Amino acid sequence: MKDKDMDDTLKSEESVLPESHIFVLPGDIIGTVEEFILGNNTFKHGGNVYSTTTGEVNINKKNHVISVIPKVGIPPMIENGDIVIGRVSDLKNAIALVEIALIEGKGEREIVNNQQAAIHISNVKDKYVKDIYYEFSQFDIIKAKVIDTKLMRLSTSGSNLGVIKAYCRKCHVILTKPSGNENKRDKLFCPVCGNYESRKLSSEYSGPAA
Amino acid sequence: MSEKPEKFIDENGLRLDGRKIDQIRDIKIEIGILNRADGSCYLEFGNNKIMAAVYGPREVHPRHQQKATKAIVRYKYNMASFSVEDRKRPGPDRRSIEVSKVSREAFEKEIFTELYPKSAIDIFIEILQADAGTRTAAINAASLALADAGIPMRGLISSCAVGKVDDTLILDLNKDEDNYGQADMPIAMSTDGKITLLQMDGHLTQEEFKKGLEMAQQGCREIYELQRKALIDHYNNTQKEIIQDAPVESVKDISTESATEEDPIEDPVISDDVPDNGNTVNDDEIKEDIPDEKEEVILDEDEDNPAIVSDETEDDTLE
Repeated sequence: MKDKDMDDTLKSEESVLPESHIFVLPGDIIGTVEEFILGNNTFKHGGNVYSTTTGEVNINKKNHVISVIPKVGIPPMIENGDIVIGRVSDLKNAIALVEIALIEGKGEREIVNNQQAAIHISNVKDKYVKDIYYEFSQFDIIKAKVIDTKLMRLSTSGSNLGVIKAYCRKCHVILTKPSGNENKRDKLFCPVCGNYESRKLSSEYSGPAA
Repeated sequence: MSEKPEKFIDENGLRLDGRKIDQIRDIKIEIGILNRADGSCYLEFGNNKIMAAVYGPREVHPRHQQKATKAIVRYKYNMASFSVEDRKRPGPDRRSIEVSKVSREAFEKEIFTELYPKSAIDIFIEILQADAGTRTAAINAASLALADAGIPMRGLISSCAVGKVDDTLILDLNKDEDNYGQADMPIAMSTDGKITLLQMDGHLTQEEFKKGLEMAQQGCREIYELQRKALIDHYNNTQKEIIQDAPVESVKDISTESATEEDPIEDPVISDDVPDNGNTVNDDEIKEDIPDEKEEVILDEDEDNPAIVSDETEDDTLE
């Protein structure tokens, strides 16, 4: 009971001291271990808490966490919940393998913990998927959400997630989205050979440049 | 090449370039000047001109060099062929390989390499103009470039040399003092005073070594303050450019408020702000910031305000 109350107060008020925005550099003392729980970009040495980066001190007075909000570009890391853009490098029976190119909102700097990611057939969309072949193809550029960083698993369930650029399996031309055809929704059309293909499309699909 | 001077230190105790024996050369620092690097710094240290670039953490090539538990640090010190009076043969040589190795080791323990396993942090140093003490200047530049790249570190590294000419210990040798002097001892030091590099060329007695080390440490501390100022200035300015009402200003705000409200003779910030937010700031920082602010504020009140008032009254009477 008591714990529950505590949790509620923690959630209700994000108590951050306004005067805590002090500019610090790597190696600056920002507190002592008796005062705070160490948050991001901090380390302890000999009973003191230090900053590891250049930024502003942030103290959460409710749960006594001290952290430093960096004011420099920090090396981008893939984290759970991130939206990533990548290319389908291979298709297996139940998974699509993806090479991640960049994380949305984290700049174009090289990703530190980049490795081959996978979308399992169960994470492609909310509906039944008979065959992953109908949802992705090799070389497709996709947008996906990270659901597990350890095994680097991705999910494309969601209207904005899925294929954002696709190539024709026959002639490798960028496919276009047919307009105004109700029957052919979620289908893509090849402007060169007239081939129709199905994909798990993102609402942000962009065909060839007009 | 210049000839060996007869005397390095004149009767006033000043050196060939007019410095005192414990005075470092002028330093000019520019941070973040290379667009394509993750972090960069251009540094002038006397007549030395150094460019530092940091990349990474990034994939390791060749793959066999990568470590499963930590990032590897690679440091490349390179002198441009035009950096010295006689053209230097380009490319790595015995000297630059050695400088790269000792400088890399000066940084390795200060970087949190364990946060980025299987990756590499690359530091590239280009000496554009050399005038003795390039390795120390390069370390100072690399430290700032690493901070600019946002790589987590235990502190900044500052570096400075001490040497001996005319049987006298001097701080931060220039070219003539280095070429014709009796000893040269570069050191690098972390923010908390750990020595991460120490080399010695020539001869020093035990007493001279002890005194020299202290002088060099003092030099490092002076350089640290300059590095610190350069970083703060750089990020405060870039913040202002991006966002109009920069939140970084709050440091200044606190200090000016307390300086105006409270008795200026007392040191108000330590007594007032610190226990309140449970936040202990670096003592040096407070000492640095507050007196300046106070002076400025007092000057403003003394000079500007009476002037404005008198102007207004004059205007009124005229109208």
